[in-house]
Amino acid sequence: MTLWLMAGLLFTPLAWAVLTLLTDFSRGRLVTWGGILVQVLVSLGLWLTVARDGGFHYGLGGWQAPLGIELRVDGLAVTFVLLTAVVASACGLHAGVYIDPDKPWHRYFWPLFWFLWSGLNVVWLGGDLFNLYVGLELISLSAVGLVALGGKANALRASLRYLLAALLGSLVYLLGVALMYGQFGTLSIAGVVSWLGVHPVPAGSGLALALMVTGLALKTALFPLHRWLPPAHGIARSPVSALLSALVVKASFYMAARLWLELGEPLGNLAAAQLVGLLGSAAVVWGSWLACRQPQLKQVVAYSSVAQIGYLFLLFPLTYSVSESVSLQAQQGITLQVISHALAKAAMFLAAGNLILSAGSNRVDALTGVSRFLPFSLFSFGLAGVSLMSLPPTGGFAAKWLLLQASLGSGQWWWILVMLIGGLLSAAYVFRIYRASFLESAGPDRFYHPARSLEVIPMILALLALGLGLASDQVLSVMALPFEEGGSP
Amino acid sequence: MIRTLRILAITLACVAFTGMLATSIWTIAGNSDPGNLPQLLSENLDRSGVEHPVTAVLLNFRSYDTLLEIGVLVIAGIAGISMAKTASLEDPQLRTADSLLYALQRWFVPLMLVLAGYLLWAGADRPGGAFQAGAVLAATGVLLRLGGVPMEFLRPGLLLRLGLALGFTVFLLVAVASAIAGDAFLAYPPGMTKTLIVVIESVLTLSIAMVLLALFVSAPVNDAEDPEEGSSS
Repeated sequence: MTLWLMAGLLFTPLAWAVLTLLTDFSRGRLVTWGGILVQVLVSLGLWLTVARDGGFHYGLGGWQAPLGIELRVDGLAVTFVLLTAVVASACGLHAGVYIDPDKPWHRYFWPLFWFLWSGLNVVWLGGDLFNLYVGLELISLSAVGLVALGGKANALRASLRYLLAALLGSLVYLLGVALMYGQFGTLSIAGVVSWLGVHPVPAGSGLALALMVTGLALKTALFPLHRWLPPAHGIARSPVSALLSALVVKASFYMAARLWLELGEPLGNLAAAQLVGLLGSAAVVWGSWLACRQPQLKQVVAYSSVAQIGYLFLLFPLTYSVSESVSLQAQQGITLQVISHALAKAAMFLAAGNLILSAGSNRVDALTGVSRFLPFSLFSFGLAGVSLMSLPPTGGFAAKWLLLQASLGSGQWWWILVMLIGGLLSAAYVFRIYRASFLESAGPDRFYHPARSLEVIPMILALLALGLGLASDQVLSVMALPFEEGGSP
Repeated sequence: MIRTLRILAITLACVAFTGMLATSIWTIAGNSDPGNLPQLLSENLDRSGVEHPVTAVLLNFRSYDTLLEIGVLVIAGIAGISMAKTASLEDPQLRTADSLLYALQRWFVPLMLVLAGYLLWAGADRPGGAFQAGAVLAATGVLLRLGGVPMEFLRPGLLLRLGLALGFTVFLLVAVASAIAGDAFLAYPPGMTKTLIVVIESVLTLSIAMVLLALFVSAPVNDAEDPEEGSSS
């Protein structure tokens, strides 16, 4: 059974990528619906299996870890697999209606979409440094392809910039992987950890970890390496922006976090941890401030992503040389932050796409009066905004609450100020959109009404982000499942 | 002044980084090698179906990585042809009438095709394999294209997309078939390992060449484009 679930998870997205490459957009959409159904069922099945029996290792090709590639299927990984299934299906269904099927280049949307999905699953389950690199490449290249799809000079410029940043990040990460391999003679993360368990920490191995984390931080758009993100996320089609902001940046963060949690204690140091936390805080403040000042709707949402990514990097100082329980709280808080931001930001970008479609312009001041025409989408946007502002009972609130406790528990009170300022500023940029949409203009209104299904999807995502705060205990209990060492299906 | 300072700062940063890297590599080289991976590899080599360790790693021990890397190449191909909207490759401006080029082509093209075939076959027991062979094959195509051979099959049509996906599809089918046969994913059934690897390598060569060539040929971009979201159309 587990074999078939893994099969479905890893190979159906790849198979669907090939199938949709051979059809045009409309037929590709039908094929994609089937694929989405399979993926959601398989992800749910795997999640239930792991929730019942605990995690396991899965060796590909019948070869075990140092020689072959082993996947690490644990509670955290399957939680993200399920999250990906939810958000990617929502974006896929939205894109099927949103994207113009008559343009010939849009036939390439579905293959890129499926390759992106398969790359995400590779990263969530990866336990091998080089395999993770390949997963990152799958994600980056398909994301760049999606941003550039059929765009004008501006879109090409943004996607080229994105490509160069992503490539540089990958190369820096790869340099770190090469140093790791030279040092420890294995590419398996578990292998490195067990080697460190019996040997003293060799001199000079901190650089490898620093390089890997730097490369991944560039790919996650941590301040001050964030400049590529807003143009790329702002100019892509809205379902693509939603995928990029909700899932793609999380993949590189997830890798950095896994590396830090496994290797940070032996190879890292306090100054580096505090520095990463400081950059994250700067991202929260600077990103939110810039979000308040953007003239275009999607740029507001994109800069809000820069800010929300900043919170994630508080994981580094809050888990370094602190007590077990504080570290666990911080990890749980960050996980909830990843999930709630993924749901809320996807909802926000999809709703923003509807607003833009309706108003016919991507400027914030063009939203004047849209509240009378598209209250439903505007409401989804606001609900998602509530989660970003971290008001109770949203997932964002549960996340910030855990981070707050972790900060107090470890005596690092300065991160609380960051969360406070970030929350206030996010309220400012969400209300700014609301203010624009409730203004009335004197002239005649011209609004286009998008299809009803386009409005339902962001609403569901926003409600999920809202409900996450109420169900956070169940979500966290699966993540914290004991990992059954050496178990195999 | 500011420019000089900036250049100075960048140079300093680069030198510092190189120094750190060199120190780190020096320390790593000084440590006794903790890994026994090369030894493990040579112990398992006779079970891998090929004699060359690199091919064994690429197509057997870490075949999952290779499968995904081919996926990356297909993505690059898709992204490339999605931007090229050329309807016809028979642009008279692209034609050339250089007699020297024609003469060279007559010599080079057969030679390069033979070389590509040799590289593919050599992968079993010495350096070579699908990636190298595919690159040579693509270079042959580039040479033909520069010589003005139209290459109808590279029009962004079904044939091109089939060619792009061929190697990846065969690899994926082998992976799934091996799972249906009852073993783990990508675990080749014993006895068929060599055959399967040769089949996969051959189709991969074609697809890799196709991706590289498509990226070269589809380069011209015309003016048809999508209006930006929200820009009034």
